[in-house]
Amino acid sequence: MAGLSRRRFLQGVAGLGAGVLSGCAGLPICAGSKAHVVVVGGGFGGATAAKYLRLLDANIRVTLIEPKVKYITCPGSNWLFAGLSNLDQLTVDYQSLQDRYGVKLLVDRVSSLDAAQRRLRLTGGRSVTYDRLIMSPGIDFRWDAIAGYDQAAAEQFPHAWQAGPQTLLLARQLQAMPDGGVVLIAVPADPYRCPPGPYERASMMAYWLKQHKPRSKILILDAKRSFSKQALFEAGWAKHYGYGTANSLIEWHSLADNPLLELNKQSRVLTSEFGDRFRGNVLNIIPPQTAAQIALQHGLTDSSGWCPVRPLTGESLFDEFIHVIGDAAHYAPIPKSAFAANSEAKACALAVTSLINQKPVVEPHWLNTCYSLIAPEHGVSVAGVYKLDAANTIVPVKGAGGVSVRTDVEAVALEADYTRAVYRSLITDTFG
Amino acid sequence: MKRICYAAAPVAGSLNSIAHAEIDARAIAFNCRNCHAESQPGSESSIPSLENLSAQQIRQALLDFKYDKKPATLMPRLAKGYSDAELAAVAEYLNRN
Ligand SMILES: Cc1cc2nc3c(=O)[nH]c(=O)nc-3n(C[C@H](O)[C@H](O)[C@H](O)COP(=O)(O)OP(=O)(O)OC[C@H]3O[C@@H](n4cnc5c(N)ncnc54)[C@H](O)[C@@H]3O)c2cc1C
Ligand code: HEC
Repeated sequence: MAGLSRRRFLQGVAGLGAGVLSGCAGLPICAGSKAHVVVVGGGFGGATAAKYLRLLDANIRVTLIEPKVKYITCPGSNWLFAGLSNLDQLTVDYQSLQDRYGVKLLVDRVSSLDAAQRRLRLTGGRSVTYDRLIMSPGIDFRWDAIAGYDQAAAEQFPHAWQAGPQTLLLARQLQAMPDGGVVLIAVPADPYRCPPGPYERASMMAYWLKQHKPRSKILILDAKRSFSKQALFEAGWAKHYGYGTANSLIEWHSLADNPLLELNKQSRVLTSEFGDRFRGNVLNIIPPQTAAQIALQHGLTDSSGWCPVRPLTGESLFDEFIHVIGDAAHYAPIPKSAFAANSEAKACALAVTSLINQKPVVEPHWLNTCYSLIAPEHGVSVAGVYKLDAANTIVPVKGAGGVSVRTDVEAVALEADYTRAVYRSLITDTFG
Repeated sequence: MKRICYAAAPVAGSLNSIAHAEIDARAIAFNCRNCHAESQPGSESSIPSLENLSAQQIRQALLDFKYDKKPATLMPRLAKGYSDAELAAVAEYLNRN
């Protein structure tokens, strides 16, 4: 333990050494001025980072850049399909970050990044310089993955994988579907935002269909061989939605060896490599994903489409003054979730304040917990505790984490309660 | 343009190990605040609040979760991720902050 800490300490200093050189080379000495950290993206990662930086060190100036005045959370957005929530209840703003923590908010979009000058240009025409940059810009979609499914097609066949108008569109389509209709949910291969999300969505749609259109069916067309919390979901579906019987509201099909290749918009048919055709009344196509455009455009991604980082500090492998957190970054085996983005943001905020104040970077700790509702009184969860190993790669702590153990009525009802409570407290911790 | 410039890197001898343990507790304890955040007036959460527990009570609860002596839905899965010393440090930290 002591040896490990000391090695990390030295690495922290090594990072600093490089900072001294490139930060001050050719620039006038400016000791005493306040460090300026700019955070790009006001989602779970960015908002948490901005808040915790200010909590950790009020001497650091923090500017958060986010184009939307209000943010609609993806967590909780599946509950809308069951009629258990609405977009208003999922909407937060940045008032507390400004009023309580002194974060400066710029409602604008970063249009370009000049890493050599440590300068950002914003769509509105302003430019902003930084000492350190924390990027949490979220995801974009690979529009070339399924032929015929592009940005325009998403207006007709929503992904609803960024909460807002897409979520409403999908909910309306579900409500307008005839009884006996078929909903297709196309799920990408790993890694993607919120691994259990598609299955929670199927559950919430099934809950609503069971009451309003019980002859309908949801087909999950999955690019994977197995999925997050699978045993818990399947047991819940069997209990509530007839899963495994001929009348099941939900069917799950693995297309791992037979990927979906094409969408025919007129006939509403998805065709797979082997020529299997799936026709639906409602098509919810969740495409494969990458880090957001801004990260792709400025060389912060590798061939996987995600941003590789040094997990100790979250620094990009391609630029030591740029840290990347949240869905855009590669923190595997930590899944891409709001909870994880919040945890990555805290570890990153600790590292950034240490780097700025010339203190050793402490050993990071990450946590992830993902709750899902299968029915309003049936919740399930998966958790993971993560650390760095001796080789500085992220590993789950052995013996910790895992899925819900108890599945009796009382336990799943308690976990349904916790699903809602954890959502609210995560919002408070991030935006409040 | 404002710039921060770093002074020479501190020598390894200046590493204060007590401060280090303290900071480690923060790195863990920040992750507890997602769920055990400060209570909001008017909002009742089903997640138990830690506000009225002593450091000793928090520590004992965490050890009981870790060694399966206290039945619960989630905490045993989290508590098993930390050493007894880490749990004690986190309990201490949460009680003070
Ligand atoms: C249906 C669904 C359900 C989910 N449920 C859960 C759940 O129950 N629990 C959970 O933990 N996670 C859940 N998630 C996952 C969660 O939403 C994401 O993991 C989380 O939002 C990631 O946070 P982030 O900060 O990386 O990105 P985001 O939250 O996407 O935030 C990115 C922000 O960056 C901004 N941005 C992008 N580009 C720029 C630019 N150029 N300039 C300025 N700003 C920019 C965007 O406007 C956006 O606000 C769910 C996701 C989905 C789709
Ligand atoms: C995802 C939400 C979540 C996170 C994160 C979390 N807890 Fe908990 N905590 C709970 C829940 C739920 C309970 C109730 C027991 C159970 O069912 O697991 C609880 C109970 C407790 C209790 C017992 C309180 C009492 O009055 O009996 C303590 C102590 C505690 N947690 C400490 C912690 C610490 C320390 C951390 C950080 C390492 C932490 N918790 C992280 C959700 C969470």
